Amino acid sequence: MKRKSKKFLKKNTSSLSKLSLFQKSDGKFNRTCPLSVKNAPIIDYKNISLLKKYISENNKILSSKITSVSSGKQKKLTKEIKKAKILGLI
Amino acid sequence: MSFYENTLVAKQDLPKSELEKIKEKYSDLINNTSGKLIKVEEWGLLNLATKIKKYNKAFYIHFKFEGSKITLNEIKKKIKVDTSIIRHLIVKYKNLDTENEYFKKER
Repeated sequence: MKRKSKKFLKKNTSSLSKLSLFQKSDGKFNRTCPLSVKNAPIIDYKNISLLKKYISENNKILSSKITSVSSGKQKKLTKEIKKAKILGLI
Repeated sequence: MSFYENTLVAKQDLPKSELEKIKEKYSDLINNTSGKLIKVEEWGLLNLATKIKKYNKAFYIHFKFEGSKITLNEIKKKIKVDTSIIRHLIVKYKNLDTENEYFKKER
């Protein structure tokens, strides 16, 4: 019983530390690039299953801020997506 | 001499005999004009993402070859005149990978 009460208190304090809605959260958004890891998938206009992950519902290219792809790979991605659109694959 | 990939998008309502004619026509063209054909892939009938010239589906044929400027000019001339081809794309590569086939399962 004592343990439970302690946990409850801890949670309460964490939520209280945030005073207002406009304060920045502690969560980290800096993830590493998923395409520059070892054994990463090949970026190619034939590899549609990969390219579809980086496209919105209205067939727009998602920005690298959302997907956290490195700037070099993002340039490659946009070129390959545009090639696939010419052929009507995406 | 450098490596190229050429994909053709052919009309939906063609018979099988004519598809093979297209295949032979362009493979002969590459071999006759100082080029070298490496691989031919048929991706089959696929759904188009959007309508292109009032067609919902299309046949895809994929060529991998080695050639010079002369071969490219000859191919582009023939494609412009050909009425059974809707779209095409030619891409230059430093190294071709002939192992991966992305459209093999969907046949």
